[in-house]
Amino acid sequence: MSDSQQTQSQSQIETRTTGSDQPLETTSGETVEEARDEWIEYDFQGEAKMVAEDLDVYYGDDHALKGVSMEIPEESVTALIGPSGCGKSTYLRCLNRMNDRINAAHVDGSVRLDGAEIYQDGINLVELRKRVGMVFQSPNPFPKSIRDNISYGPRKHGDIETGLLARMLGRDDSEAERELVERSLKQAALWNEVHDRLEDNALGLSGGQQQRLCIARCLSVDPEVILMDEPASALDPIATAKIEDLIHDLAEEYTVVIVTHNMQQAARISDQTAVFLTGGKLVEYGDTDQIFENPRSQRVEDYISGKFG
Amino acid sequence: MTRDEYQQSLADLRADVLSMGELVQGRLDRALTALSTVDEAEARAVAGADDAVDRQYLDLESRCIQLFARQQPVASDLRFVASSFKILTDLERVGDLAVNLAQYTLAADRKRFEEVDLSAIGALAREMLDDAMVAYRTDDPDLCRSIADRDDELDTLCQRASERVVRDLIEREVDEGDSWAVEELLDDVSRLLLIVRDLERVGDHAVNIAARTLYMVESDPELV
Repeated sequence: MSDSQQTQSQSQIETRTTGSDQPLETTSGETVEEARDEWIEYDFQGEAKMVAEDLDVYYGDDHALKGVSMEIPEESVTALIGPSGCGKSTYLRCLNRMNDRINAAHVDGSVRLDGAEIYQDGINLVELRKRVGMVFQSPNPFPKSIRDNISYGPRKHGDIETGLLARMLGRDDSEAERELVERSLKQAALWNEVHDRLEDNALGLSGGQQQRLCIARCLSVDPEVILMDEPASALDPIATAKIEDLIHDLAEEYTVVIVTHNMQQAARISDQTAVFLTGGKLVEYGDTDQIFENPRSQRVEDYISGKFG
Repeated sequence: MTRDEYQQSLADLRADVLSMGELVQGRLDRALTALSTVDEAEARAVAGADDAVDRQYLDLESRCIQLFARQQPVASDLRFVASSFKILTDLERVGDLAVNLAQYTLAADRKRFEEVDLSAIGALAREMLDDAMVAYRTDDPDLCRSIADRDDELDTLCQRASERVVRDLIEREVDEGDSWAVEELLDDVSRLLLIVRDLERVGDHAVNIAARTLYMVESDPELV
């Protein structure tokens, strides 16, 4: 980019800031951050599945997420991007209260799922995490058979009953389990590769297959939202392409939120992109087309174009 | 390629598109001068040397493709490479039109339709092209819009010139018994009408360059 372009973008920031409540004297550092609140207002088509409002997260004294407000449209793919330590994974983990598992973590603010507050007292976390499932960076199948990886959750939740006791009580759901395993594996585009070895240990699968198995496991409990934290970062390009195709297909039925360090991946697969930058703040949120073609924030422009410092 | 090299390759691309612009502007200039001074030697020189433009065009086109493939530019970098990629094609076409103009100078009997002022049309088209390249060099959105505004003026000049040729043809007394003379006249008319259209096209390419530049600078597809 030429100097004149730089100067022009800077002056656009200046123009925008003059309208804010707090007069800003320069365009550097915090002052620019003040200007960007208007860039996270995002009018998307359709309904919001999840809504975060004024979300702050602290890990001890570390203020990891600062006042994030963001609506996630249903049945679409929302990508969260930003440098390491920007708070994107922290934000993702707020959406199904995974941060509760970290003792030093403290969350302020509100997150609603279909309009209902998930941070209210007495909420059933097991039920929440069933509705808002999660897939992690490294595939983490249970050291069990492929079949058991899928049916473990539904059994735990009591959705299917198998075994001697169930048979004695006349509640044998073996057929339902078989159907569930097949459906979940098909949804995760893994069925064709494993249907003849469902009893094999899942750890014998390739990394890409293990990750699709984890997605199938997540789908087996019939979630509404799927959170993915860098689901393809440990995979080769072919396995990555399969996961990306899968994410695209899943968005027809599910609300997918994905954290990725791979900017091109965000550009390829997401409908909307939220950019977090260092300091735990959401800087810009909008249609993926707009973010990658014409970001409004100069800092986002610099980040996605690889112009650091 | 490191990020610094990438930034340098973007700067080089801009400099080389501008240099291709200068080459094409120079050729258009020479073709217009040859036309107005009826300088056949100069016209022949312009008509026979389009290779340099084509070579530069193909080189720059392949560099844009390489940048897309290897750097996946986004945001203003993306708009810059995409716009430059399109602008190259317009410049290459103007290079072809300069050749047409030179060939016309060699073939036409300019005494026949002296009242049709091709130099005024050519000057306006040339000015629009020059300004389009200035807008690209300086990221000037206002200049882009002013080029689009001037296109109406150019179109009017071209339309008037064409009408004048046709009216002149109707009013002209021709010895219909002299079939060779009739054929010569008709050839000259069609050549002149085509060259008027070519000059109008130079203006259209200038508008295209301005439109892509406006998109590049402001992400505004208004003129595209």
